[in-house]
Amino acid sequence: MATVRLKNIHKEFNGVKILKGIDLDVNDGEFCVFVGPSGCGKSTLLRIISGLEDATSGTIEIGGKDVTKSDPIDRGIAMVFQSYALYPHLTVRDNIGFGLSLAKRPKNEIRERVDAAAKMLQLESLLDRKPKDLSGGQRQRVAIGRAIVREPEVFLFDEPLSNLDAALRSKMRIELTELHATLNATMIYVTHDQIEAMTMADKIVVLNAGHIEQVGTPMELYHHPQTPFVAGFIGSPKMNLFEGAIAKEHNADLYGIRPEHLTLSPKEGKWKGVVKHIEQLGADAIVHIHVESLGMLVVRVDGDFSITAGSTIYATPQEGKEHLF
Amino acid sequence: MKRQQIINGVIALVIGVLIFVTPFIFIGLTAVKSAAEASQLGLSWPSEWLFWDNLVAVIQARNYMLLLAYFNSTVITVGAISLLVISAAMIGYVIQRRPSKWNGFIYALILAGLMIPPAVVPTIWLLKELHLFKTLHGMILIQVAYGLSFSVLLFRSFIASIPRDLDEAAIIDGAKPWQVFFKVILPLLKPVTVTVILVQSVTIFNDFTNPLYYLPGKDNVTVQLTLYNFQSQFSSQMNLLFMNILLVTIPPLIMFIFFNKQIVKGMTAGAVKG
Amino acid sequence: MKSSRSYPYWFILPGGLVYLVLFLVPTVAAFWFSLTHWDLFETRFIGLDNYYQFLREPFLITGVVNTVIFGVLTSIAKSVLGLLLAVLLTSGLLGQSFLRTLIFFPVLVSTIGVGIAFAEIMHPARGMLNIGLSYFGIQGPAWLIDPNLALFSVALVDIWKGVGLATLIYIAGLATISSDYYEAARIDGATKLQMFFRITVPLVRPATVTVVTLSLIGGLRSFDIIWAMTKGGPGFSSDVLASVIYKQYQAGFYGLSTAGNIILFALVAFIVIPLTYWFNRREVDL
Repeated sequence: MATVRLKNIHKEFNGVKILKGIDLDVNDGEFCVFVGPSGCGKSTLLRIISGLEDATSGTIEIGGKDVTKSDPIDRGIAMVFQSYALYPHLTVRDNIGFGLSLAKRPKNEIRERVDAAAKMLQLESLLDRKPKDLSGGQRQRVAIGRAIVREPEVFLFDEPLSNLDAALRSKMRIELTELHATLNATMIYVTHDQIEAMTMADKIVVLNAGHIEQVGTPMELYHHPQTPFVAGFIGSPKMNLFEGAIAKEHNADLYGIRPEHLTLSPKEGKWKGVVKHIEQLGADAIVHIHVESLGMLVVRVDGDFSITAGSTIYATPQEGKEHLF
Repeated sequence: MKRQQIINGVIALVIGVLIFVTPFIFIGLTAVKSAAEASQLGLSWPSEWLFWDNLVAVIQARNYMLLLAYFNSTVITVGAISLLVISAAMIGYVIQRRPSKWNGFIYALILAGLMIPPAVVPTIWLLKELHLFKTLHGMILIQVAYGLSFSVLLFRSFIASIPRDLDEAAIIDGAKPWQVFFKVILPLLKPVTVTVILVQSVTIFNDFTNPLYYLPGKDNVTVQLTLYNFQSQFSSQMNLLFMNILLVTIPPLIMFIFFNKQIVKGMTAGAVKG
Repeated sequence: MKSSRSYPYWFILPGGLVYLVLFLVPTVAAFWFSLTHWDLFETRFIGLDNYYQFLREPFLITGVVNTVIFGVLTSIAKSVLGLLLAVLLTSGLLGQSFLRTLIFFPVLVSTIGVGIAFAEIMHPARGMLNIGLSYFGIQGPAWLIDPNLALFSVALVDIWKGVGLATLIYIAGLATISSDYYEAARIDGATKLQMFFRITVPLVRPATVTVVTLSLIGGLRSFDIIWAMTKGGPGFSSDVLASVIYKQYQAGFYGLSTAGNIILFALVAFIVIPLTYWFNRREVDL
């Protein structure tokens, strides 16, 4: 188990600045999620930690040791790829044991460690199959098994769930969380999906355009976003953000209020608007309202809330829930 | 199938057989005739069926030259292809995986190999300097040099379809560069390797020009050269000459029967990309 | 990218070294040797004399002209016939896969074997070809004996042997054309002939590029088939550069032979490179 410390990481590629000075500490045993839109540099940062890519400048420490110039194998890391990257010509057993056999471990040790990893991931019955005979979820498990068996100090995950369907994805989220609890290892997880970030992370790192916007626990980011970017990125549906009169009223440049922090009433309220569209989700509903003084306002209400498109409605922000930037 | 298609098909089949099969029937018939009958050059049925006699005569000719030729051709073909597959796969791998400013230059060299006719006399001069002239291993290396471009291009385009994630997973697993290639990439190249082996073995086995220049002399005779040598010797024994042609045609025929699809795929897939 | 470490350049070395020493070095050296009087005994610089000789000696000029004729003729014939055959053999004809196999087989057969066999088939009096023609009341020519015809007779056999490959490349090319185009054209009322010229020919272009380039390179360099059938004769009437190179080499005129090599190299380059360039430029316009 180990800490990961990044100091002033810069990355340039063909004159394009991909990372612009990243400083970050990941604590021992922490589940840390890098989240951000595509192109924000999160995958590059993960690859720099793994040693697959070199940073242009800056240092990386894993477990207190400077590994900036080390090869991936000497960093004590394991990585799970988005595409799983299972070796198609090897069986599940040989896939999981590949790294150990490269390290020339004794045959029976390899067998035991592969069996142990397979047991943990319920892969025992699949050990003799080839990757092409596995389902998406099973492949995902093999990829994780390949990482576990090497007993790394740090696990790296590069969008590992994005090739799975929605149902399987939510199942794997829970399994990964449990795995983290079992292994108690440091894990760094890259995703563009803020739901994955919120549900799994101990610590979320929000990246945007090559720099860190904010670091914090899921609830810190939800309740206290420090930048408009984080405010807009964390939470679904997105926070309503307005410039203009309403912001000035609070002596700010930007006024934000989450859809779930607005109350609707047919009779009275702060803002009067016309219901344009309703997304009925069952348990709750997302209501899009056009307010003359603001523009479009999105409100989350209970699914049973009775409302029709075209009707006039009043929306009121809950006391103390607004965000000012 | 429509009536019209059937009628057209029958017509096409008749014409096709006439143009593309009769020459082979001619070869086959002449090969089993007596010398006198063969010199008539007709398509007539042999009055005497001398398959065995002619076969033995051809094999025994010039102190079993044909057997030596088969041995030499096999050595050259197998040797050259083993080297070609490994070296071309390695080159294709690096130039596909490692884009650099050199790639344009390397690519130009590869195309040059497809296009430029080899400069034969300077090559002979060089082979002599290297003591490779008139040797089987010299011939093997020549075939590697001449077949490299085509093979590299085939490997390169196939390797482009193998995700880079696999290399990286292997690197994370602690593989050295040569382990990434030999343990992960090479086993995945089986389909294209089969193609390269088939296409190149037909090419090398059928090669006449290069052995003619670089491998003169009786000891190093190859299968195609026996034809050339026998052409003058057997001018009055057309039956034996054609028996020889028949024997030379058998290896590609066997390849063709078993691997027709892969050969076609290799020759056209390598080609359509240009 | 750490590609420098993961994909080391020494991987290129084994094959690259063989290629460098046995192909590139002789090719470059050829430029020097072509400027020398070079035989068994000496190598003496004589400037461009070898090239002047190529321009002066009628039999050498014939070789150059014949090379171009042979290359261009076989290349055009293979592409035109190849395309027509490919269209025919993708039209759902009875036995079309058998026919594909049939016309491809000669591609794999020894060129020398084919050449020797056809030399007999084309025998003016007793040859199968002329006997066959006589059934139709046609008096067949003296294929390989007639100096005006020999080169074309050999070209004919080369086309016979090579058209199968052209056809298969075209079949692969045709397979990439979506049937939507033909259906759209049918709804627009196009005839079969219009579809062929306005859809098939332009869309099968990448295959055409390949067939033309490949058979042109092969045709300009042809040696086996000519050597097996006529040895350049009668006289020098069917000599091409490749056979001239061999003859001069055998005669011990190494410098002259190498000059022939350079001329062949230049010929291939001057015909094929502009052609590919032109093909590719047109492709961008498409």
